[in-house]
Amino acid sequence: MEFKGYRRENGGYGIRNHVLVMCSVNCASGVVQAINRAIPEIVPVINNYGCGSAGNDAAVMLRTLVGIANNPNVAAVLIIGLGCEGLGAHRLANSIKGKPVECLVIQEDGGSATTTKKGIEITRHFLSLTRAQKRVPAPITELVVGLECGGSDAFSGITANPAVGATTDLFVKAGATTLLSETTEMIGTAHILKRRAVTPELGEQIEQLVNNQEKKVRLALGEWAGMVIAPGNIDGGLSSITEKSLGCIEKGGTTPINEIVGYAHRPTKHGLVIMDTPGYDIDSMAGFAAGGTQVILFTTGRGTPAGFPAVPVIKVCSNTRTFRSMPGDMDVNAGTIIDENRSIGQVGQEIYELTMRVVNGELTCSEKNLSIPFNYLKEGPTF
Amino acid sequence: MKNNALKINPSDNVIIALQPLKKGDMVILESERIFDAVEDIQAGHKIALKNIAAGEKIYRYGEPIIQATQAINRGEWVHIHNTRPILGDVTVK
Repeated sequence: MEFKGYRRENGGYGIRNHVLVMCSVNCASGVVQAINRAIPEIVPVINNYGCGSAGNDAAVMLRTLVGIANNPNVAAVLIIGLGCEGLGAHRLANSIKGKPVECLVIQEDGGSATTTKKGIEITRHFLSLTRAQKRVPAPITELVVGLECGGSDAFSGITANPAVGATTDLFVKAGATTLLSETTEMIGTAHILKRRAVTPELGEQIEQLVNNQEKKVRLALGEWAGMVIAPGNIDGGLSSITEKSLGCIEKGGTTPINEIVGYAHRPTKHGLVIMDTPGYDIDSMAGFAAGGTQVILFTTGRGTPAGFPAVPVIKVCSNTRTFRSMPGDMDVNAGTIIDENRSIGQVGQEIYELTMRVVNGELTCSEKNLSIPFNYLKEGPTF
Repeated sequence: MKNNALKINPSDNVIIALQPLKKGDMVILESERIFDAVEDIQAGHKIALKNIAAGEKIYRYGEPIIQATQAINRGEWVHIHNTRPILGDVTVK
């Protein structure tokens, strides 16, 4: 099995050839936006922090931003810094390997207007480099597929998630890596996921991960922890937290779990891997992108337009009503399982075929709409 | 025939109503009429595919999700009124 991708110097193959313009701190975001207005083809990454973070948050921030810049879908990177920020624009730029990287700092490069002008020149040069690059055959083992759900409804666990699970099994069988995530939505299934681990040691780690997340939820939400299974879920037909969470982990299909990786870390194994991410879609997708994910399968019932910078996101809708009410935001209608007697397997195959077309260049709804919100995990206070 | 119920995993002992069902409606699974609904069941809710004894586990997605607190007959609605979470599973209250 092969796909056509852009070969990167440090290994890996991108399914897109994007020029990324990222600010190292939000204070510098105006320049990123100004460059984006002048050159719409660039992919802007508006980093909302970059200063005033400490400890684990500072480590997650650097790892996530570097990881996204290192994503194989990114051909070249321009970092825009302010100059006095905690993260350090040059430190960020120097951590990016294997592709052209430039760094401008507003306090050193003549203010925002001059920095914008210089930035436009640099990105024009980067774009001319990317236009000369061609797709080449790549083994499917180089493909990482992220699995996400957001804006779920009562049908997400009946149509869209099982269909994506069937797709996942096809990708794992072909030799790709798939990332199951959103640890909060695994609560109540630790004993089941444990059984699916490839080794007993990994099973223990999975159980611990999910149980720790449950403790965190209880501590943070107190009496609201029950919202993890809300009255609306019960009205929708769900009888236990285990049933609800199984509906989420259905996206992971049926193959053994080969590894757990932390937030924004790269998987080292093929097949099904768990990444520890929060349930918030945008933060979770940032973890995927930083872990080298080239494409994301995203199930939704209520409907969301959210994609992600530099990573194509395929929306799989659980029901025909939302599919029709948000035209141009939804890529696949898994509601056909309800309305057209299609099987979970048939829709899974359809998603697989669409994903392969997207991998080879077809644009998703969120790419056409330029709906690319950006945010990442932050747990502590801002100082 | 248009399906109005779905079996998610071959080993499940419940099926899911894809549309609101009225008592007496034919339940159609994989294009075959399997039985008539014995009570009204909302879309997205579970229906017993066979007789389930008190204490028996309910399987959906091929996994045990809850257990019956009373005998449940084939065709009956399965929810929190006749089941409970499985003891020993982690549950957030």
